[in-house]
Amino acid sequence: MKLAVEKRRATWVLIAPALAILLALNLFPIVYALYISAHYWMLARPQPPRFVALSNYKELFFDERFRNAVLVSLKFVALAVGIELLLGFGLAFVFNARLRGIATLRKLTLLPSLVMPLVVGLVWFYMFNENFGIVNWIWVMLGGTRVPFLTQGTLALLSIVATDVWQWTPFVMLVFYAALQALPEYVYEAARIDGLSGAQIFFRVTLPLLRPAILIVLIIRAVDALRSLELVFMMTKGGPAGDTEVLPWYLYTTGFLSLDLGYAAAMAVLMLALVTVLSQLFVRQLESREAAS
Amino acid sequence: MTVALIRNKELGPGSPAAWPIGTLRYLVAAIFTGFCLFPFYVIVTTALKTETAIFAWPPVWNFKPTLQSFYNALFVFGGRSAVFYLINSMVISVVSTFLAVVLGAMAAYAFARFSFAGKGHLAFWILSTRFAPPVAFIVPIYLMVQKVGLLDSHIALILIYTAMNLSLVIWILRGFFAEIPIEIEEAALVDGYSRLQIFWRVAVPLVRPGIVSTAILSAIFSWNEFLYAMVLTQSRAATLPVYLAGFSNSMGLAWGEYMAVGTMAVLPILVFTFAVQKHLVRGLTFGAVK
Repeated sequence: MKLAVEKRRATWVLIAPALAILLALNLFPIVYALYISAHYWMLARPQPPRFVALSNYKELFFDERFRNAVLVSLKFVALAVGIELLLGFGLAFVFNARLRGIATLRKLTLLPSLVMPLVVGLVWFYMFNENFGIVNWIWVMLGGTRVPFLTQGTLALLSIVATDVWQWTPFVMLVFYAALQALPEYVYEAARIDGLSGAQIFFRVTLPLLRPAILIVLIIRAVDALRSLELVFMMTKGGPAGDTEVLPWYLYTTGFLSLDLGYAAAMAVLMLALVTVLSQLFVRQLESREAAS
Repeated sequence: MTVALIRNKELGPGSPAAWPIGTLRYLVAAIFTGFCLFPFYVIVTTALKTETAIFAWPPVWNFKPTLQSFYNALFVFGGRSAVFYLINSMVISVVSTFLAVVLGAMAAYAFARFSFAGKGHLAFWILSTRFAPPVAFIVPIYLMVQKVGLLDSHIALILIYTAMNLSLVIWILRGFFAEIPIEIEEAALVDGYSRLQIFWRVAVPLVRPGIVSTAILSAIFSWNEFLYAMVLTQSRAATLPVYLAGFSNSMGLAWGEYMAVGTMAVLPILVFTFAVQKHLVRGLTFGAVK
């Protein structure tokens, strides 16, 4: 009896501090964002915020710039994550071999994953420069003419996609590599004994076994790409003419350049709703794993 | 038979190489590795170039390195030197990491060892906070920090980064604690240790490798964070990313100085990334892929 009491007390002593911080800095801000979004709330104005119910959301619904930002974000996430997954998947098979030195190369590729995104934006901004950038130099060497990578609509978005692909393809590759390493050999032996061809083994054995890893990396990358704004901040500031204005960038400028906090909070709430759906998919994936193990 | 062998290698876990697939692998792997490393070369060399060489067309490959840009960035450049931002970044990363690891390890132990009502839901709610987009939190957080009078203070960023890293620490260490054989702790219980003493004196020393890895990852995430720092600090507590964000105000001219600061922002991370490479995938996928 005394032991049970002590155990319960220990549990709460151990969990309470972390829980308090998360409640204050994660759960409370969500509730507060909902509250702010129901107000006309300008930063640095003497007038108190005015309750406007859902009119910020109504305004968003008819806001061309918001619609554009959502579209640009979707394009960015789909392109960047799509390319990263395809490339990373293929490369995982390339690196998955017992060859001398290939493990060293593999370890070197993980360096981009944890680099400060702002520095990534800075160096690619330099390399994509129209007048002295190295990407342009390579392009001219190959027989092209100078390209305004960051100041022409579609190209600017593609350049940011390329930069994101540089930073995150290695991570995706390493996840798939780890998943491949974890595949049990006996499954392949069984498949061979059953007389399956190479293509059949790939589609009927490897691919289904990799499905959880694919889902996990897809969700992580999608959420991270959706919420990042460092590259846009460093390379284009949303230009030209809104062609790279992703949702986080529009939200940030609305809140801290136009100082319209209520409107920015309404965008934040919609974004949170979307991210919550994605993170729940992730949680489900892990839950089913825990249940299985 | 040869064909079958090559196919098996393509599809199954690693097996010995066969010509010419092996050579092709090397080629693709080497090109990809070069692609991954090239921007680092550009960062460092641009930081070491003179201004003329930085704007040269075609790019200059052979040049006499100079430390002028580093000197300018650290001691001369525009009113405030980068040293000040470096120190802020270090203080904020170290303290927030310390808090996240201590509080996170405590919670992780409870999740790994005790059963209580709602444990599963609580654990998965904590996991989902990893996906919190800073940009969606920045408006309410800004007003909260303003209300308690902590704008431009170290403590605000420290607490926010602690919250940001808790989910990572709790989930990774929970796995590590669960792997300790329970008999060790039971023996300590018989010896008259209290639960909290067992946690601190028995369990924590046993998961030291996990603690080191999670600490390094948390420190890197705090070190790299841009948006909260940009909005919540101006001068007193401004970190390196805030310094780097100032590039847009330099009219695109001070490449050398900013690349020098970029080098200082990135080099320590490269060293640490290598140190945690064994646990990197596990850490970044929350143990979903080991």
